[in-house]
Amino acid sequence: MPGLLTLSRRSPRKSGASLVLRSLSVIVVIGFAFPASYLVWRNFTDGGQPFDLLTSRRTTGPLIRTLKLAFAVSTTSMVLGSSLAWLTARTDLPLLRFWRVILPVPLVFPTFIGAAAFIRTFASGGLAHQTLGWVGIDAVLQFRGFFGAWFVLTLFTYPYVYLPVSSRFRQLPSSLEESARLLGDAPFTMFRRIILPQTAGAIGAGTLLVFLYTISDFGAVQLLRYDTLTRAIATNQLANPAAALALSLALLILAAIVVSAERATSRKLPTLGDTQASRAVRYSLGRWKAPSVGLAALAAGLGVVAPFVALLDWASGALHPGSRGLTIDTENVVEATWNTLHISVLAAVAAILAVLPIALLVGRYQTRGGALAHAVVISSFALPGILIALAMRFWTLRSDLAFDLFSDTKALLLFAYVVRFGSLAMGVTLIAVKAVPQQLNDAARMLGATSFRRFVSIDLPLMRPGILAAAGLVLLSTMKELPISLLIAPLGFSTLATRTFSSFEEAFVVEAGLMAVVLVVLSFALSWALVLRRADDL
Amino acid sequence: MGHVCQEFDDTTIFVKKPLLFVRHGVTVQIMKLRITAVLLFIAVFASACGSASTDLTGVAADIYGGGCADRVDETVTVYSGRTENLLAPVLDAFQCETGIDVEVRWGSSTDLALLLAEEGDKTNADIFLSKSPGPVGFLESKDLLGTISQDVLDLVEPQNRSAEGRWIGFSGRKRVLVANLDTVKDSELPESVFELTDPIYKGRVAIAATNGSFLDWFTVFRDQFGTDTATEWLNAMVENDAHSYANNRAIVSAVGLGEVDMGLVNHYYNYQVAAAEGESHRAQNHDLGDDDIGSLLIITAASVTQTSENDPVVGQLLSYLLSTPVQEYFTNETFEYPLASGVALNPVLPKLAALEIGSVDFDALGGGFEETLAIIEASGILNQ
Repeated sequence: MPGLLTLSRRSPRKSGASLVLRSLSVIVVIGFAFPASYLVWRNFTDGGQPFDLLTSRRTTGPLIRTLKLAFAVSTTSMVLGSSLAWLTARTDLPLLRFWRVILPVPLVFPTFIGAAAFIRTFASGGLAHQTLGWVGIDAVLQFRGFFGAWFVLTLFTYPYVYLPVSSRFRQLPSSLEESARLLGDAPFTMFRRIILPQTAGAIGAGTLLVFLYTISDFGAVQLLRYDTLTRAIATNQLANPAAALALSLALLILAAIVVSAERATSRKLPTLGDTQASRAVRYSLGRWKAPSVGLAALAAGLGVVAPFVALLDWASGALHPGSRGLTIDTENVVEATWNTLHISVLAAVAAILAVLPIALLVGRYQTRGGALAHAVVISSFALPGILIALAMRFWTLRSDLAFDLFSDTKALLLFAYVVRFGSLAMGVTLIAVKAVPQQLNDAARMLGATSFRRFVSIDLPLMRPGILAAAGLVLLSTMKELPISLLIAPLGFSTLATRTFSSFEEAFVVEAGLMAVVLVVLSFALSWALVLRRADDL
Repeated sequence: MGHVCQEFDDTTIFVKKPLLFVRHGVTVQIMKLRITAVLLFIAVFASACGSASTDLTGVAADIYGGGCADRVDETVTVYSGRTENLLAPVLDAFQCETGIDVEVRWGSSTDLALLLAEEGDKTNADIFLSKSPGPVGFLESKDLLGTISQDVLDLVEPQNRSAEGRWIGFSGRKRVLVANLDTVKDSELPESVFELTDPIYKGRVAIAATNGSFLDWFTVFRDQFGTDTATEWLNAMVENDAHSYANNRAIVSAVGLGEVDMGLVNHYYNYQVAAAEGESHRAQNHDLGDDDIGSLLIITAASVTQTSENDPVVGQLLSYLLSTPVQEYFTNETFEYPLASGVALNPVLPKLAALEIGSVDFDALGGGFEETLAIIEASGILNQ
């Protein structure tokens, strides 16, 4: 009965990773190390004094504020994302499919658009203010400073936790839970003793992404007037490049520390049990039904509906009399939509392929090199996109061959996206790999199946929910990506996000609204497709 | 358009795939949905490809109304910090009128300057257009800019171009105080930025302390009045509870919404937001005194990369930016100040008697930005 035994530590297989796997991982890690090595190179060749600057007051202020925000957002996103995951994966929540399609969508809002939408909606004369006015409430909420940044970032980052955790919840073997119930454990004791230990890894990995995203966000904190390290980096880039580089290095070091801490804790967790052979147990919410629906509605309402309505409001400006004409036409919209769609699907597939070898090394063979590779991949998520774009440019310029082959190509763009967002796929894929029962593989090996055949017929099907969640994370994030899309894409390649940004900057709010609406609708469609594809897990 | 039509073949390959899933047991219903989606997709593409035409439409046609010239085998590559909505009509008109292919990378001026610095002499860019002088100054300090030919430079007054011929202004934005129409009385509107440190403005003024336009302005302020005076002013503003916002655009919106009473910005954003939002935008520009530092004119600048300085096509495009139809477009459509001589100012804009940034030796400021930023960060404005 493997179910009950697997919570004890299983001795990992220290060796046995094939040469192919190891070499693939090395290649991938070299790719992912481009931004970090660029940063180190620049720091020490541009004649800066990174260490002096890191301890000055100009740095410590924004650094402390960054940390404060990151801890606050991580905590709330962790609680919100995990609760929503539990509700949609393991309970009889009404309208289940609807919540599953809508809850990952906040990920697609570029945070500067989301922040702007909230400021506008709750300001005097804004949509929320007017609506409240009808029922006699005159409330103006100012979305500024720490509160605004915390609120907006929590709403737009909880899916980093929600997606991996709900895919994990759906995979848990029912046997342990049933045994616990038979032994008379109260629901909360059972949750703490059986479910939490098995999901803590996924919760930790998701929360780590929220933390790293928060320290790298620029768009939202800027508009919400909360001064962080990324602002300091951005404004120093031209005026004092050495300072900007040193601050970026600080960001990277901070990320590396947090990533190692997460690794260290997750190692202490019991090895994951095998995936479900039967369906996961579903619990009846009973009298908790109404509050649970309320929570899901609150998250979807504030994270998706409210900003979406604000965008519709902007887009509808075209209907107002006397508004200026549109500067875009259908062609532009179609082209940007197609570009966004195909490049983000490709990026998601490429990212999964890139992180798989490392996930196998870490999860199955637990090699030291694998752990290092894992840290390199995840830390790079904390770097602002502009740095990744510059690093890619920098390295393609180092050799004529690379320059001729890759400069201004979609291949380079994809590569940059994978480096930027591969980290999102890493944690979830790793958990998926760990959840494949070793016994099955061993049995197949004894029956003479080749490693490739074992991978295709055993590993892949069992890892599917995790891999789809990973793909979803990369997909939605790529769709809204900005600096890389602007700086690395082939000339003339526009995406919905780049168009939204450009229009918003010059107050072409109608265009910005239209493009953002298309972006959100497209992400709905993709999220729906992803949920549909794992319909059998419902 | 050609771009999308070329992709058309890929599309069909891409959408054929899902049909294969039938074998794997996906229901017929889903397949039907997919087919509908695919057909819709193809229909949109086909209609888009069918409607492609060569002559100009919309705003671009106002710049150049004639038929398009035959394509010549020449390309000019532009890195543009000016946004697509406003600049694309100009470049389309140029492409149509001359037959020269224009390729553009759009982005923020700062990001593009960093990219150009990274690319060095390997860059594909011929021309860099910047929203403000700062990023151009950065590239100049790295010795990455070529010299613009004299006949192009002569199109603007000497104060609106670099003495060394490294950059040329092609439109101007004036510093103003944008004020809310309801919460600020006419009698409260100041004549000078120095008045804003007065207690009656306590907590009522916004500045975009880390935005390029403010950094440029503050650097000139320091140059004209001395670093001590400028620093004292900023510290007094902090003392007076001035607020720091992300950029001009955010200030104009916030003032329009009554979140803050007034703000120091470039004149141009209020016209843009008013054009977009109409009556509901409750803010208006107030011009500070003609000789006040708060009325500085800040130019948007064009420059040439070192590798392309002798390319005749580059000169052609730069002169085009300063041609009468384009300068009229800048003033009438985007509410900016034209810099080429002989172009009439948009009647809604106040006449210019202001200081012009070119009259300050901008080239000589060099490392000025680093100290400017240090002063701003030390002032504490970024936390309020």
